[in-house]
Amino acid sequence: MKKVMFALVWGILAGTGFAGAASSAPTADKIAHKADHMAFYQGMDAKGKIELVITDKQGRTRQRVFNMLRKDSDESKSDQKFFCFFQTPADVRKMVFMVHKHAEREKDDDRWLYMPGLDLVKRIAAGDKRTSFVGSDFLYEDISGRSPAEDIHELIKTTDRWYILKNIPKKPGDVEFAYYIAYIDTKTFLPMKMEFFKKGDRCYRIIESVKLIPVQTEENGTRVIYPTIAVSVARDLESGSTTKMTRSNMQYNVGLGDQIFTERYLRRPPRDAMR
Amino acid sequence: MKLFKNAVVGFAVMHYKPVMLLTILFTLGTGAFLPLVTLDTDPENMLERDEPVRVFHNETKQRFNLSDIVVLGVINNRDPDGVFNPTTLKRIYTLTEFAKTLRWQDAKHPGRSVGVIEVDMIAPSMVDHMSQHDPGTIQFEWLMNRPPETRQEARAVRDRALSNPLLTGRMVSEDGKAVCMYLPLTDKLLSYRVYTALRKKIAELGGDEEYHITGLPVAEGAVGVEMFTQMGTASPLAMVVIFGLLLLFFRKWIVIALPMIIAAVSIISSMGLMIACGFPVHILSSMLPIFLMSIAMVDSVHVLSEFFDAYTQEKGRTQTIKEVMDTLFAPMLYTSLTTAAGFLSLTLAPIPPARIFGIFLSTGVMIAWGVTVMLVPAYIMLIPEKKLEHFGLSAQEQEKQTWLTRTLAAMGALTYKHAKAVLGLLAIVVAVSVWGITQIRVNDNYAKRFSHSHPIRKADVALNSHFGGTYTAYLILEGKNHTKATYRDVLKIKRDLTRFSREIRKEHPGAPSLAAKLGETLSYNAFKNNTFEGFLDSTMHAIEKTAADAPDKDYYALQELKNFFGLEKEKRKLFKRPEVVEYMADVQDHLEKRGLIGKSNSVADVVCKVNQELTDGRPENFRIPDTLQAVAECYLQYQQSHRPNDLWHLVTPDYMQANIQMHFPTGDSMNTKAVVEAVDVYFNNNAPPAAMNHRWAGLHYINLALEDRLVRGFLKSFAGSFMIVFIMMSFLFRSPLWGGLCMVPLSITLLMIYGIVGIIGKDYDLPIAVLSALSIGMAVDFAIHFLERSRTAYRATGSWKETVPQMFGGPARAISRNVLVIAIGFLPLLVASLVPYKTTGIMLFMILFCSGLITLVALPAALTIAETWFFKKSRKQKKEQGHSFR
Repeated sequence: MKKVMFALVWGILAGTGFAGAASSAPTADKIAHKADHMAFYQGMDAKGKIELVITDKQGRTRQRVFNMLRKDSDESKSDQKFFCFFQTPADVRKMVFMVHKHAEREKDDDRWLYMPGLDLVKRIAAGDKRTSFVGSDFLYEDISGRSPAEDIHELIKTTDRWYILKNIPKKPGDVEFAYYIAYIDTKTFLPMKMEFFKKGDRCYRIIESVKLIPVQTEENGTRVIYPTIAVSVARDLESGSTTKMTRSNMQYNVGLGDQIFTERYLRRPPRDAMR
Repeated sequence: MKLFKNAVVGFAVMHYKPVMLLTILFTLGTGAFLPLVTLDTDPENMLERDEPVRVFHNETKQRFNLSDIVVLGVINNRDPDGVFNPTTLKRIYTLTEFAKTLRWQDAKHPGRSVGVIEVDMIAPSMVDHMSQHDPGTIQFEWLMNRPPETRQEARAVRDRALSNPLLTGRMVSEDGKAVCMYLPLTDKLLSYRVYTALRKKIAELGGDEEYHITGLPVAEGAVGVEMFTQMGTASPLAMVVIFGLLLLFFRKWIVIALPMIIAAVSIISSMGLMIACGFPVHILSSMLPIFLMSIAMVDSVHVLSEFFDAYTQEKGRTQTIKEVMDTLFAPMLYTSLTTAAGFLSLTLAPIPPARIFGIFLSTGVMIAWGVTVMLVPAYIMLIPEKKLEHFGLSAQEQEKQTWLTRTLAAMGALTYKHAKAVLGLLAIVVAVSVWGITQIRVNDNYAKRFSHSHPIRKADVALNSHFGGTYTAYLILEGKNHTKATYRDVLKIKRDLTRFSREIRKEHPGAPSLAAKLGETLSYNAFKNNTFEGFLDSTMHAIEKTAADAPDKDYYALQELKNFFGLEKEKRKLFKRPEVVEYMADVQDHLEKRGLIGKSNSVADVVCKVNQELTDGRPENFRIPDTLQAVAECYLQYQQSHRPNDLWHLVTPDYMQANIQMHFPTGDSMNTKAVVEAVDVYFNNNAPPAAMNHRWAGLHYINLALEDRLVRGFLKSFAGSFMIVFIMMSFLFRSPLWGGLCMVPLSITLLMIYGIVGIIGKDYDLPIAVLSALSIGMAVDFAIHFLERSRTAYRATGSWKETVPQMFGGPARAISRNVLVIAIGFLPLLVASLVPYKTTGIMLFMILFCSGLITLVALPAALTIAETWFFKKSRKQKKEQGHSFR
């Protein structure tokens, strides 16, 4: 099934001329930047529903559903804003998590949290982004993206399907991993697999993209297709926990307004975020 | 009986060469299994595998993902800032990093590894810190990302840690002098390995700090490992001591080699058989050699003693041994049978290793008996007559000249002349002992298995004075929900739905009418679904379907209504409800305030702490918020950490079961018992706000449950043993009266010993419980020998007065020698550093010595007083020249 899906995506991509982008041999840095772009920066904005299913070692599951809005900054393409509006479980519905991401390495992201039950808006202090995202096996940084500038990239292998990058953090004291290996698809430049290693080459965490879908949209008046990760799975090998992230209703370039991503809207989210 | 005896002894004397060969072959054959030995050092195996307490404990461990934990404590009393100075924190960090590496290949599952579970470790560098950064800003960070470089930074780490009630008294002591690291293990049996690795690493660190390693798995593991090694030193030592004693008594090494051979044969073959039957050697069975060592020799010492006394060169060995065996065959058989029966009574205890121990111990005793009656004659036949020159009492010295014979003669005279005084004195002893027994305190403590100088005992004392406790038991609350939605449930939901739809009317004007329409379908929906959850799910599903095509105004209203049902579903998850969480906090508070526990942790603490930090960090907000949603938000925020799975040690993901972790500063089981009772009382007096069960789990609780089973089990086997021996004695003497008399010395002894235990305030713990049952079969032997020989002698003399001097000659000598040999044979256990071995050594020495002494004092005194009563039949028979026995 997976293979059929891939073939389908490739077919469409070839049709749109996308696959041609991979012809010349790029540098490690270029691959890393391109992968970052493909995973987090396609289109001017995006909207979709995300479902997280966390399955623990014993097979017990927990579910979270939220709508996610994303908008790129007009001035600098690398700054972004995220707005996550929680739907499920019912007792945390309307909880909002908002991020203003700053791509510059020296500038910390701004993060906000709205908790309707406690009726509180809190700013989250700059600091560690490598904590669990709502109790799942994805980290905050997996959701908003780890800037390629944080790591030194090394192309360790190129195969027909993948560019295999070894990424070593510039500030090893800030992260729990020693390095991670990313398998970047040579055609779409989407990261298909990331293996995180601790000291002693011990792999403890894997994120895999298990399903890609082509999402049709318009870019400057022309129809384009964005290959999009529809299902990805994060596995924590130490705790035995797994989280499956499924994106649905993905839309790009919907024309989200900047005002949505402000503190004012945390308590009264725009209908854009809800339906 | 006579026929059987003559056949056996005759065969042994005639065919001594094949007998010898057969014995050697039997020993080698069974001994061949010894290398296949497997050890079982897990005290949990004292409980049956399907024992409900054990089953629940294991279920709990799985449900809450709990592991057995090694506690590594660091104390710095010299530095003004305690452990919170850069150097100590650096060492703590180094140790933490080292502990992470304690992983090994899993022998059972290649490719997998076992050892310390890094993600669940608790150490300053591995836990999170949640705090107020600026007003309105909350910060999530590592408590100590890396070891601090300045004293100021180190103190900041302390202050951060102390601000978290989940860590205070657990990871960091309130005075800041100590830090504890908790290292969870994939299997508690690895604890000793982790323990030794840590000790080695600590030795490399140096510095002023004190390091302590403790935790129940460590204590249990160490007991297991050290028991076996100490058994290895104590057994040979016992052998040497016994050999020395025998040499003192009999002077001829070639003769005393015999008991040693018999002991070796019975130990090797019974251990070999046990291993061949596929049983692992448990801690209890590790004592098998030292028990068999002395018991196996008893019979042969009797034979030797008698042979030594009776041998003259004129008579020759063949004649002497036949005579000796004639006298001793029956008492030996019966003493062996009673000893074996006494041990066999251990099978009455519901404790698997005790059963195995009992079965093979009694097997060993019977093997020893068989070997004694077969091999002793054969062996003596093999000794050239020449080598026996100067052997025997007659050859060595005159009877009256030895200290033993003199003392015994005096004792005999005393019991006859002052019989009433002797019995009166014993009566007083009994009375005091009975009072002493009422003072007995049942209590066990794993740490107290180690002597005061043992590092584990020291660690226990040091760490528990700084922390809330290193002993942990889990109070598990299990919520109960009725499964199907009833008519009343539906009515209530309908009512609440209507109210809710009116509340949101301002924002969603269509809500009341949509709710009314929805309300009509509820009864049918509830009827259709077998579960409450199914009913709610299908209702939500139906709403979602309607909403999909609805216009915007209805869509948003329907979403609210759908969420109403979603919330109903969440409300059924008991441990999300504020009043339930509050109840848990109350239980903890109650126990902590009464000083029953050192510290406790539950989701109540988590919710309070998160609520405090989310709100504004002020102490008054360390409380449980009022709504389900707010509690849920606290739970969710708690998961947004570096350790998202920590929550699941305290509550199950369905929020239907919660775990209150109770930490005890002492390993005393009576303390645990008091808490268990206090919790029951609390639940009875304060009904929980929702239906729930409460049950206990955790190694520390298992030990309490184990103790309960063991104390009762051994009491049962004690009673069983007593009855069996009494019945056997009544049968042997053809008289319950004599049977009863036979039980007297041992009863007085046990009353006395356990009375002393009560009076000196020694806790009645596991080792002491085991010994009561074990000692009966052994302690009764002296009385059997004494009474049996008395009856025989009385038949010859016809008067007790004339019998006494005879009895205090050869028979008393044989008994005394035996008493000394086996009682002193247990004393080498005192060199062991483990307290249970010391206890076993001293207790058995006392029991055997006292029962020997009391036999020689109480029985003749009783017979003096009640001569007519006891010897009625014998007197008559004396006239008829009949034999009652043999």
